[in-house]
Amino acid sequence: MKHSRFIALLLTLLMLSTMVTIGAAAEGEVKLTYYSTSAEVNAMFETMFAKYHELNPNVTVELIPTGVGMGQQEQLQSLFASGNAPTFMNIDPANILDYEEKLLVFDENTDWFQYMNPGAIEAGRMNGKVYGLPFSTQGYGLCYNKRVVESVIPGFDPATINTQDALRTFFETLDAAGVVPTLIHGANWSVGCHYLGLAYAVHGKDAESGEAFIESLIDGTTDIATDPLFQGYMDTYDLLVKYNLRKDDPLVGDYNADNAAFGAGECATFFMGDWMWTVLGTLENKDTEYGYIPVPWSNDPTAYGNTEVVVSMPKVMCIDASQSTPEQQAAALELLKWMLTSAEGQEYFIQAGFSMPYNNVRKDAVYNSMTQAIAGYSAVGKTINIGCFTYLTGDAWAKTGDMMLKYTVGAIDRAQLAQEINDFWKTQTKH
Amino acid sequence: MREKSPIKRAATFIAFNGLSLFAFFSVLIIPFIYGLILTFTDWNAISDTFRFIGFANYATVFSDKEFVRQFLITIRYVVISAVLCNLFAFTIAYFLTSGMRGQNLLRGGFFIPNLIGGIILGYIWKFIFANVLTQLGKGFGIAWLKTSFLTNPDRAVWAMIIVTVWQYAGYLMMIYIAGFVGIPRDVQEAADIDGAHGLRKLGSVTIPLMVPSFNICLFITLSRCFMAYDLNLALTNGAPYGSTQLAAMHVYQKAFMSKQFGVGQAEAIVLFIVVALISVTQVLLNKKREVEV
Repeated sequence: MKHSRFIALLLTLLMLSTMVTIGAAAEGEVKLTYYSTSAEVNAMFETMFAKYHELNPNVTVELIPTGVGMGQQEQLQSLFASGNAPTFMNIDPANILDYEEKLLVFDENTDWFQYMNPGAIEAGRMNGKVYGLPFSTQGYGLCYNKRVVESVIPGFDPATINTQDALRTFFETLDAAGVVPTLIHGANWSVGCHYLGLAYAVHGKDAESGEAFIESLIDGTTDIATDPLFQGYMDTYDLLVKYNLRKDDPLVGDYNADNAAFGAGECATFFMGDWMWTVLGTLENKDTEYGYIPVPWSNDPTAYGNTEVVVSMPKVMCIDASQSTPEQQAAALELLKWMLTSAEGQEYFIQAGFSMPYNNVRKDAVYNSMTQAIAGYSAVGKTINIGCFTYLTGDAWAKTGDMMLKYTVGAIDRAQLAQEINDFWKTQTKH
Repeated sequence: MREKSPIKRAATFIAFNGLSLFAFFSVLIIPFIYGLILTFTDWNAISDTFRFIGFANYATVFSDKEFVRQFLITIRYVVISAVLCNLFAFTIAYFLTSGMRGQNLLRGGFFIPNLIGGIILGYIWKFIFANVLTQLGKGFGIAWLKTSFLTNPDRAVWAMIIVTVWQYAGYLMMIYIAGFVGIPRDVQEAADIDGAHGLRKLGSVTIPLMVPSFNICLFITLSRCFMAYDLNLALTNGAPYGSTQLAAMHVYQKAFMSKQFGVGQAEAIVLFIVVALISVTQVLLNKKREVEV
């Protein structure tokens, strides 16, 4: 009896000591967790954090990775709700609104913020306060494969595609030459958020115009079916659907397969952003020269949107202030400084093809052709402000994206699509 | 013998049952009650605060057309899956207890799918439906195989049913095999002597004696199919355009994506009640059919 009591006591002590060892870190050591919604570059963050640990042995960073299109928002919510909030993270600016009360408000006078390009700090500003720091400038439109296009149209100039008719003629020329003109990625985030987002955003050059349009849909004061931008973009969409590489089975939505097909030159254009380089760039036997064409919505070459591509800072770095200790927050801030403004940290982003909105990035950085093409539009101010993305959060893009997919396969017509979009927005609330 | 004092008795009870009771309460009862409380609030799954709003969430559940539509899809999926799973499992169990050669190997083979987790299984079959079958279709010029099963609303539901049957049939087969083996030999011999063979013996002797097996198997398939989530997520993720989103996934989307945790939780409670009612009714009805030997 005594013997078994002794064993029981020993086991209890053993359990307790394990718990204590797990709970306490050695003095001076800081353990941080990083939640990344930039799923395509998980490996980049891992090597970056390993390097930082090498330089600062007292700081360990664990990456909480996510998958492309895989429940990123839900995962973050459960992390917060279960008391396991990541110390710092990258999220979409739109999600800042959800976490406003939990995130650290950055001091705008922080010395290293001076390296940010003018206006870049606005990417993470909500209700007057800065909650997020951008790390990349990305853009989207109709990406084209230069080799494929120039095999049909030698010396092709993307500036010639500035109207819907020009795009139609362009596609017809490619089609006649036996080249598949385009590719739509049949996933709700691409067609619901990125494509349909154009119809909201092009209402004005500032974020407020797009937001005001969405708010008028929420109020029910606007019927999207009567909106010329919506009708125009849907006319263009019909054109994309007609000449889609995947027209026999448009909803497969396999991101890797679509990238591989475009990279291999199976089609001339692809409605996608320059972030695809992180996947496409790793493929073998791919073409390396790409450019961007705007998605025209009307036949007026001077109309806003017909000669512009979307450029945005789609992700921002935020620090949790609700569950992380002041030491962790300070360590995360220090790490962000290293990641975003040191030559060593920036190099990882440059190598992954990110164009960083910081003025101390080495000037001789060579980017892939997609990023260069987007930067070209930025340089001449030919950009669409997609600030209304703040409304395309939660299930907005998934729901409206599913409607777009139904339209893509002809399960509903345009009037029904417009009706469903109207009905959806009426269930939403204004910020 | 002297009675133990209440304190000692309590101590003994805690020593033996304390840990399991603690686990039972902390992972089952408390979350259930907390979940029930959340159905009366407007919590958005992120905020630290929420307000109590009475039964408003339950009112929303019944006016949520999408939930009702997806509930009907779920019922269709459950009924077809349950019937096919049991039919298939019973048939293979019948043949694999008939003393055929290599029956142990075959039993093992049919059981293996059940050892693979739903998520992995979903990805494996997604690859088969989206890549393998479409390549076969293109290679052999079979028109209906050229496009993926997962991009057509009707075929995608069938894809889920196929995978469900593949996953559960082996498991249910084991229960049916136990049922077959458990039928007393004397009853079977008596049937043989009376001249009952083949289907007659199956229908009049074997099946009535196997009602307990049917009971368990139906209960398992009904409850698991109603709650199906992992397979749904990995195989179709609701695609195409939300047409294969089952009730459990809808609950999840409502709570986390639409950030209406209260409504999602209320839908989960409604789902719980429906599944409990159906399962219990099924068991009670079938209990009456059980035959004592």
